[in-house]
Amino acid sequence: MNDYLVFLKKELIEYARTYKLLILLIVFIIFGITNPLIAKLTPELLASFMPEGMLVAIPEPTALDSWAQFFKNTQQMGIIVLVLVFSGVLSNELSRGTLINLLTKGLSREAVIIGKFLAMLLVWSLSVLLSSLLTLVYTIYLFPGDQVQNLVLAVFCMWLFGAFLLAVLLGSATLVSGNYGSLLLTGLTVVVLLILNIIPGARRFNPISLATRNMELVSNTTEASALFAAIGVTGLAILGLITLTVYVFRRKRL
Amino acid sequence: MNILEIRDLQMSFGTNQVLQGLNMVVPEHSVFGLVGRNGAGKTTTMKIVLGLLEAQKGEVYVCGERVHYGTAKTNRYIGFLPDVPEFYGYMRPLEYLRLCGEITGLSSAQIKAKSKELLELVGLEGVNRRIGGFSRGMKQRLGIAQALLNEPRLLICDEPTSALDPIGRRQILEILSAIRGQTTVVFSTHILSDVERICDRIAVLEQGKLVLSGTLSEIQKQHRRNSYSIRFATDQEAEEFAQNDELNNPQIQLTREGRSLIVAIEDSSRGGQELIDLLSKKQMVPERFEAMEPTLESLFEEVVQ
Repeated sequence: MNDYLVFLKKELIEYARTYKLLILLIVFIIFGITNPLIAKLTPELLASFMPEGMLVAIPEPTALDSWAQFFKNTQQMGIIVLVLVFSGVLSNELSRGTLINLLTKGLSREAVIIGKFLAMLLVWSLSVLLSSLLTLVYTIYLFPGDQVQNLVLAVFCMWLFGAFLLAVLLGSATLVSGNYGSLLLTGLTVVVLLILNIIPGARRFNPISLATRNMELVSNTTEASALFAAIGVTGLAILGLITLTVYVFRRKRL
Repeated sequence: MNILEIRDLQMSFGTNQVLQGLNMVVPEHSVFGLVGRNGAGKTTTMKIVLGLLEAQKGEVYVCGERVHYGTAKTNRYIGFLPDVPEFYGYMRPLEYLRLCGEITGLSSAQIKAKSKELLELVGLEGVNRRIGGFSRGMKQRLGIAQALLNEPRLLICDEPTSALDPIGRRQILEILSAIRGQTTVVFSTHILSDVERICDRIAVLEQGKLVLSGTLSEIQKQHRRNSYSIRFATDQEAEEFAQNDELNNPQIQLTREGRSLIVAIEDSSRGGQELIDLLSKKQMVPERFEAMEPTLESLFEEVVQ
């Protein structure tokens, strides 16, 4: 157990000193603050660009628009930034050989994989937490009285999908060398998941639903239970991926 | 006791057979030089000993315990210095040693005391910069410090001096010499003068096999040839001596280089005494008379041909 903690601590120090933590926190804080603001200001901005005398009915923005911004930004930008920032955490160490010293000191290979995954997960959780809390506070301030549904579950789904991609990223790094290789594999995984949605009925179990159907939950157009299958599949996939990654990494030539 | 035993080790990368039945034994408290050309299999051997690579065949024992690939428990006896040690550039030397110490399971107080002692040994005391700004020599010295942190019984260094300038090299060799009482050192190199300077045992690796091994003096004794170098004051004198009838013999080979004459005698029962007799008979006094020891370089060239 000791070396898991030691390695986790090392990873967190690394993220702090190599600006990974800073970049992610700044990006997600900006999202958190701007999501409600953009929702509030969009109608006014649109109105100011309209030609004189033209009348277009723009509906009054609500808290739902603010959360729509949150999920759109996190899904499109946030997760991309997350994957980019962490794309090199294992592959760089492998190509530079920085792990050799520690492994020959008796650090177990499991500790490397699990330590790295937990450290990334911690940073991702903090990012999602900050961003969603800021969005929440500003949304309540700007749209007092508006009601939203299933918010915690919707945010949890997004978080779980991010965790799934981190597991894919880490697994990819043990299979292909270089951080472009692992980025490519992670991208491919997302593409495959999107294509899978074509199959009727697959949407129910597809992890990608966790990042695409959040607004249905919040606006209460979908029952919460509709996503339980996807949550289960994703959770199992993460466990499976980490187990497989440990298995492959143990047998990897260094 | 043997600190390291390698039995019939075989390893290939694709079609390239790197190790072909390597057998090697390193006794405790020796400084063992593993010599070989680039690509002879030195690094591969070390990585197998450390459990970083899996051998196709053969066994490795460290302190009597079998080495298993992937989860090498035997690494607790070993300190390893890679050829170009890589550290986390954002850490300071003391932080890095603390990380290594925590992984090994040393207590905080032990880490503190040991780090201080080792940084002094390698001459990095008081250096509190981030490792990212270190020179190669400094990284190599920090590498030794981290390798010695857990007081290993076996220190393995992969070409510790090959990337360094002459001063850095001397410093590394001095450190390795200084710790020879406390630990057994195995280091690979292709710089033969380094081996002569600090090793008491050597092994020459060529095409995945040991072609020569033993203590330095044993090897030199075995390969000593019956040859002598005689240097005269002038070229004429050397030539005059070479023309002697007594030396005109198919069993004796003469090579003259300027005023030096190298006499190789095939028959080992005859020796230098005859040459001295001859010099005395001719009333000639050479500037220098020397029984030639084989140099490690000539031996190396001979065995890897």
